[in-house]
Amino acid sequence: MKSISEMTRLELAGFISSAFQKADIDVVLSGGSCVSIYSDEQYVSMDLNFVNAMFTKRNRIKSVMESLGFKEENRYFCHLDTNLLIEFPPGPLGVGEEPVKQVDEIKTKTGILRIISPTDCVKDRLTWYYHDGDIECLRQAILVTKHNAINLKEIERWSKGEGEIEQFKQIRRKLEKKA
Amino acid sequence: MIEPILGSKNAERVLLYLLARNQGYTREIARFWGADPDSVQKQLVRLERGGILDSKSAGKTRIYRFNPRYSFLKEFKALLNKALSFYPQGDQENLLVVRRRPRRKDKPL
Repeated sequence: MKSISEMTRLELAGFISSAFQKADIDVVLSGGSCVSIYSDEQYVSMDLNFVNAMFTKRNRIKSVMESLGFKEENRYFCHLDTNLLIEFPPGPLGVGEEPVKQVDEIKTKTGILRIISPTDCVKDRLTWYYHDGDIECLRQAILVTKHNAINLKEIERWSKGEGEIEQFKQIRRKLEKKA
Repeated sequence: MIEPILGSKNAERVLLYLLARNQGYTREIARFWGADPDSVQKQLVRLERGGILDSKSAGKTRIYRFNPRYSFLKEFKALLNKALSFYPQGDQENLLVVRRRPRRKDKPL
């Protein structure tokens, strides 16, 4: 097994995710690190956000992280051998008003990573754009669509449910453009 | 009204304040309800950690609002709206009526 200092983001995420699977705790990678993974690091996030999907007690999460050598500081977990901060935002595992229906699994050298799909990753980024006008997150969504097969019809359906169909129509062409 | 569900009177106060005014900070929420600022702050932090609220800094003040990405937001606000409708009319008006227009600095009134 590689040491943490040698692990890529994907490998570290797989390593942590596997430890939680062994402890029977449901956490799923979401947020900016998914953009990094799905864009081959063209966007660099400095944290790994594992959604605590079933509201597992903090002390159980802390126990798993400490077994991997991480220390808790201000709700984050950090390790001397990586600059990435690990966080466990509360569930439910959703994108906007809807639950995430399918969790993807990526096999890495260090374990199996449970992660939201590229399509849900785009939705996740678009929630920030739709609700807060965050252009940076729109750029991240576009980046993910350029590197992955995305179900644009599903994103359109979801945007309608969020009450944001007009905003979706305005950005649709940007999401369709491939690299 | 829904304190038994929320487990705290100040949690209900915080949520109703933010429902009516869209955003708020610790001192103004505590002042409005005549509540202890530390207790209000504790609830704001707890609700933010739970993903129900989010916050941003404005100078030295932390402004809270409902997290627009919270998956149960629409349904939760509907519950809070119903709870608010059971409050005395005067309380409802005090919560909902608030000056939004700008006021020039140093203006006497």
